Amino acid sequence: MALKVENVELPKKYHDAVEHWHRHNFKDYELLLKYWDKYFPKDDQFCLCAKMELGTTDVIQIGDFKGQPKKLKPNEMTEEQAKHLLAIIKAQASTEFGSIQQHAGTVDRAPEDEDKFWTMRVMAEELRHGYQMLHLLLSEDWSSVSGGVTGEQMVEEILSMTTGSHVLDAFNLDYDSYTDNVVFAACIDRVGKYQLTMQKVCAYKPMADSMPPMLREEAFHLAAGVIPMRRWAQKAAQGDVFVTMKMMQHAVNKWLPRGMEMFGDERGGDTNVNFGFKDMKNDEASSMYHEEVRKMIRDINTRFIRARFPDYAPDKAEAVLDELERSRGTHQGLAWTDLLRTPDKRFFRRKGVHAFAMVGIDGEVFTDAEEYLRYLALNLNDGYIASRDMKLYAAALRSVASGQKTVAEAMKEMPRLKRVGGSCPCSKGVRWVMEDKDGDQTTVAVRN
Amino acid sequence: MPEVTADVRIRALDELDLNGIVRIDEKITGIYRPDIWEQRVMFYTRRDPGASQVAESGGKVVGFMLGDCRAGEFGLEEPSGWIERFGIDPDHRGKDLGRRMFDAICAHFKAEGATSVRTLVDRTDEPVAGFLKAIGFGESPLAALERKL
Repeated sequence: MALKVENVELPKKYHDAVEHWHRHNFKDYELLLKYWDKYFPKDDQFCLCAKMELGTTDVIQIGDFKGQPKKLKPNEMTEEQAKHLLAIIKAQASTEFGSIQQHAGTVDRAPEDEDKFWTMRVMAEELRHGYQMLHLLLSEDWSSVSGGVTGEQMVEEILSMTTGSHVLDAFNLDYDSYTDNVVFAACIDRVGKYQLTMQKVCAYKPMADSMPPMLREEAFHLAAGVIPMRRWAQKAAQGDVFVTMKMMQHAVNKWLPRGMEMFGDERGGDTNVNFGFKDMKNDEASSMYHEEVRKMIRDINTRFIRARFPDYAPDKAEAVLDELERSRGTHQGLAWTDLLRTPDKRFFRRKGVHAFAMVGIDGEVFTDAEEYLRYLALNLNDGYIASRDMKLYAAALRSVASGQKTVAEAMKEMPRLKRVGGSCPCSKGVRWVMEDKDGDQTTVAVRN
Repeated sequence: MPEVTADVRIRALDELDLNGIVRIDEKITGIYRPDIWEQRVMFYTRRDPGASQVAESGGKVVGFMLGDCRAGEFGLEEPSGWIERFGIDPDHRGKDLGRRMFDAICAHFKAEGATSVRTLVDRTDEPVAGFLKAIGFGESPLAALERKL
């Protein structure tokens, strides 16, 4: 029911490319549409289209060009502005398609059909958000700032990315269980909410007009993360042996640091504000995000305490939680560490001002890299600590701790696997390369 | 005249308002029922995000109003705003919060193209019926009917 929105379809060739992409990366898409009315009665049918908000302001709201008319075409911006915005749009597109690939790996393990369909709706809407970004890339000519790369080539590049080759780290980590589907929605989609909210002011009007419809859909994504976590907390408190707070804590520990890094280095963000693309700098936005996650965790803990002590009135439950947070002690056999905790901003970071700081969940400081890695191994799930990502992180941390590398060097040398060759899984071969810091590439694996 | 509190913020509902809503409901009814409110909040955040409103004071939710804009039901083809549930913390009544949330939800409905807002009320619930009358609700040609089964 959104009458102030214009739906736009990509040219057929590109629309078909997205349809083709979801057949490989979102195999239950048709199942979702078939049962849409069962799980989402009365809701509008899903539309694979770009949605442009109508009636938004025509005037730049922030930055160096505040008060001037918003830009409608890339060539109305300076070259530097247009290049910067193009990178934002491509990164945004990458995250949307990337999250679908991550969800797809474990969505079938959802404990209930309702959970699965909630996640699939999230996936479908991420597909639409990716489609929206492709619309921004294709509806105007970016060739003057894309280094000669055509719209078609940009779409090809984005649709050929897979987990491991996306722009942001959070989208290059595999899910280890359905817990990741849920905690990712609660933690990483929350970053998405912040980014979309900040970009509502964007000086490039088509980008600004894209944000409100995406934000409205993002509200459901956050609920699809938080509400299952609340229900799991209740089950855990009631002694369900298959659902534990530890399981959720480990997933929060995995995702929150990557979420913090999605805002960019805490020392940056001026360019976005000066150009009028976002209305907050990185540190301000990431601090607000961290505080919001703290509130989410507290809400879930309250749910846990009410289930664990059903005779407690709301005020009593809040008082118990306050006391446990203050004392980090125990109450009637319930320890502070039995509850969810919000990891310290510096915990398990590899980018930004806290990169490779050895700080624990509760702010405890480590001085020995091996001890810190053992601590991480105890506080992350088994599937993740056995991953390539952890292996690479550990190597980088050791090199920083031993003085072989500076933090800045280690950040740059965290390798990023990049998949090249072949536009989709229909292709016969996939070549994986590791980029070094100079951008040269060395092939490390070939799979057929 | 109700006391209008400046430090109260009216804003769109989000998923982190659940504990506040559950708490208000529990204060009013004496029943703790988080499951029900999780279902309702999920329904409204997916159905019509931005429509439902909460009143926040000192960082706590002290009032809520849940609703959505619909068309095509009961022969009503034009979009209408529907208000389903609302509640105000008993400690924060008399501050005009209900009217402020109502104004905010109506602004959303208008932006969605609605020209009327509807609700159902138990006429024997005098405080609720009185509040609805005070904010301008009147008799409608549509009537709620029921029969026992």
